[in-house]
Amino acid sequence: MSSTEATESPIKATTAETRLLEAIETVNGVLLGKASQVRLAFSCLLARGHLLIEDLPGVGKTTLAHALATVLGAHYQRIQFTSDLMPADILGVSIYRRDQERFEFHPGPIFADLVLADEVNRATPKTQSALLEAMAEGQVTVEGETHALPDPFFVIATQNPLDLVGTFPLPDSQLDRFLLSVRLGFPDPAVERDLLVAENRAALLARTPAVLSMEDVAQLQAQCAKVHAGEALLDYVQALLAETRNDRWFESGLSPRAGIALLQCGRAHAFLDGRDFVAPEDIKAVFPALTRHRMTVPSGMDATVEDQAAALLERVAIP
Amino acid sequence: MKMKRQGHPVKGRPVYWVIACLLTALLPQLAAMPAHLALLTLAPLAWRLLAEMRGWKPMYPLLRLAVTVAAMVVLFSTYGNPFGRRTAVSLLALMLSLKLLEMFKIRDARLVASLALFLAATQFLFAQGLGMLAYGVAVMATALVSLTLLARAQAFGAAQSPAPIGAGARRELGYSLRLVAIALPAALALFMFFPRWSSPMWGVPEESLDARSGLSGEMTPGSIQSLFMDDTPAFRVEFSSPVPSQQDLYWRGPVFWNFDGRSWEGSYYGRNIAARARPRPDDASLYYTVLMEPTEQHWMFALDYPAVTPPDSRLTLDYQLMSRKPVTRLRQYEMMSDPDFTDSPTLSATLRDQALRLPDGFNPRTRELMAEWRASAATDAELVRRALAHFNTEPFRYTLNPALLTRHSVDEFLFDTREGFCEHYASAFTVMMRMLDIPARVVTGYQGGWYNEFGDYLLVRQSDAHAWSEVWLPGAGWTRVDPTAAVAPSRIERNAMDALDGRRHAFDFAWVRQVRNGVDWLGRSWNDWVIAFDAARQSRLLSAFGIDNLDARALVVLLALGLSVAAAFIVPVLLRRAPGRRGDPLARSWRRFRRRLTGAGVNLQPSMGPMEVAAAAAGVLPAQANEVHDIAAHYRRLRYAENGGRLDAFTRAVRGFRVNRPKGEHQ
Repeated sequence: MSSTEATESPIKATTAETRLLEAIETVNGVLLGKASQVRLAFSCLLARGHLLIEDLPGVGKTTLAHALATVLGAHYQRIQFTSDLMPADILGVSIYRRDQERFEFHPGPIFADLVLADEVNRATPKTQSALLEAMAEGQVTVEGETHALPDPFFVIATQNPLDLVGTFPLPDSQLDRFLLSVRLGFPDPAVERDLLVAENRAALLARTPAVLSMEDVAQLQAQCAKVHAGEALLDYVQALLAETRNDRWFESGLSPRAGIALLQCGRAHAFLDGRDFVAPEDIKAVFPALTRHRMTVPSGMDATVEDQAAALLERVAIP
Repeated sequence: MKMKRQGHPVKGRPVYWVIACLLTALLPQLAAMPAHLALLTLAPLAWRLLAEMRGWKPMYPLLRLAVTVAAMVVLFSTYGNPFGRRTAVSLLALMLSLKLLEMFKIRDARLVASLALFLAATQFLFAQGLGMLAYGVAVMATALVSLTLLARAQAFGAAQSPAPIGAGARRELGYSLRLVAIALPAALALFMFFPRWSSPMWGVPEESLDARSGLSGEMTPGSIQSLFMDDTPAFRVEFSSPVPSQQDLYWRGPVFWNFDGRSWEGSYYGRNIAARARPRPDDASLYYTVLMEPTEQHWMFALDYPAVTPPDSRLTLDYQLMSRKPVTRLRQYEMMSDPDFTDSPTLSATLRDQALRLPDGFNPRTRELMAEWRASAATDAELVRRALAHFNTEPFRYTLNPALLTRHSVDEFLFDTREGFCEHYASAFTVMMRMLDIPARVVTGYQGGWYNEFGDYLLVRQSDAHAWSEVWLPGAGWTRVDPTAAVAPSRIERNAMDALDGRRHAFDFAWVRQVRNGVDWLGRSWNDWVIAFDAARQSRLLSAFGIDNLDARALVVLLALGLSVAAAFIVPVLLRRAPGRRGDPLARSWRRFRRRLTGAGVNLQPSMGPMEVAAAAAGVLPAQANEVHDIAAHYRRLRYAENGGRLDAFTRAVRGFRVNRPKGEHQ
């Protein structure tokens, strides 16, 4: 296995930060033309949050999740949500082992470092909440027994916004469990043209090496939490939060928990930029992704949440 | 806490400015002090300047005390009167200058700058001319610059970071002048509406002012000569009747009766007895207003013969117009004169005796010559003509630098030197007349004047001082005779400086005089509108706006009103200047940078973060994208990072940033 060692040793020689940048590059090489979404996905990951992707099928949701899992060196599971999916199908079941005369827990697919929950809104609320509680708690309780989930633990859920027949949209309180939500959108014409002739993404992913390890991720997450947020920045974040509560923008404003999340995401975003302090631009970069799934536009207003968020950012002066 | 904050050491530019401010404030005081005191006052300034430049330590306190005591001793031994105004102000100046020896803290520096303003205020006790206005503005500007720099040094000192390099002397001066301008409306309101008394509010002790030049109560050889070099204004006259011709402009001043062989003095009668008869105002044909500079003397000047006496003045027997108090400040009076009035158709025996008295044992040669003349002539008028003709035909010369005369001054003048100016001619002529038994006296005053077309007024300067004679002729009374006119008619037809060959000094060109007259017109307007703005003028000004019946209460209301109007101008300016984040040099510097970019056409929003600003600027100013980016990144670190580095480097970078417009772009 001398060849493996040869490929591994330069990786080990570099620091976690440089490997992180390399990981981002790698994902960008797989998911073409989506650098900002990739960056948001990494921000979300480093801020110990879960990601929600709302988009049509076939724009690369799975590819993104898979690529992330690969470069992170994570144990990856995909759960396709359907209306007959039961909580046990996710969490796992305890089966009575007659030979050992006791119950044995069979972990479900959620026991992975990275879980892709595809079309999460097609499952019944009961199943949904099983997933979301696991996400929030970081542990799973089955029949009175608590099983810890891996740490770091990262969920990427996708939603199909158009296909509403036979779906159970996630309630607002549940959506709050997702730190960020991104839309991938259609690729640029040039990128799309490249895609047409490029190598199959699945095949490409199969060749893609792991760049980080989950230990690296844990370390990076710890470093992220230490990124400095100065007085001026806190002023700005507070001003933004206060402004969201003005009913001209949204039905209801951001909660304090969302505010903390905003700051965490800002820290991660700054960290990805190689800075040890948060700048207003970081907050502005993550703000739309943070509000998209949390906010609703007041009824009768002809604007999307994105429009409102952009307009709101324009309104708040940076100290 | 406060003490601690002010205890920051002061170094560099603020110190230089405080020294410059004090030096400016000291200027008039230095000029008025004896030379050794002036040097003593300057010494601490020089010491502090060197201490700053060479980094000397503060002086040992006991040494400082010794220096102070020694300086006090010198001061009080120089000025006899410890309660005089000049002594007090000199003491203030000296102590303020000595304060520099211990000025190593911001608190002390601030004290010096503030007291420099006070020192400047005291200088207005001595002079109030237009030059003092410039002086006041200069002191105020430098003091404001000093105080601003000190406040800045303190703010940065409290923030534990070194103050950045200043914006440069020109910007700082401009800033402080702007502050002065902001305060101007309030100053105007106070000037116009502050209740005024008809006399100055502070008691000006009589005859304690510095000696001023001008005509005096005695005519000794050379007393007028010193005036010829002095171009300062004596008084200015505005005629409401036509201006008389130059040779009729004899401004009567001190009249001399008593001759002791060397000098002339006034008489008891001339001084103390009031005029018996005076022209009726109805007969007066000359109407004019005199604005007189302070002289410390009682004489006021008028053309012959005054028909009215201004308030607080009297007319003596020999028609000298005398103020009851010395003229210690600018005095304005209206006059009427009747040039055709006959002075003393009859002469009393006492006065005749006085007008003929001569000391014994002087001028024997003249006495001899006069006896000859007396024998051959019939009437007094004929003798007068003969004497004038003598001056005219014999080789007499008009000069300002005559040979010195000794004991028999008239003899030597008439027979030997034959050169001199008005003083010599008037003195000799009067003595000759007395020897001829014709009552005669010497009159001094001013002759002529320069007509200023700018302001339509006549300026009479010290250099227009003149002396002439009056003889008493039966029927005609006292008659003016000017022997100088017989020698140098141009002296009377034009004026003193033109009567001489050559120039009096190196810069005596026509255009220089022209400029001086323009400046004089400014000075006169200043006198007229500012210095002479007394209670009467105030009420006249206000009555133009329909406000008659001015009592103190009305003035207070007006003052309050004026100040509110002034505040309406000032407050918006100050509010506009109030920064959003006070005392945050970083935010101010960043705002300045953004303003500069906006000025270059970059569209900036308040919601833009530093890097967004840089990106927007890069679009408009691609050539400077790197510089802008560096500044923005620097700001971002300073503002948001935990330890962002040095503020001064950033402010310097912002100050050094200039938008380079591509060639060919207008705007």
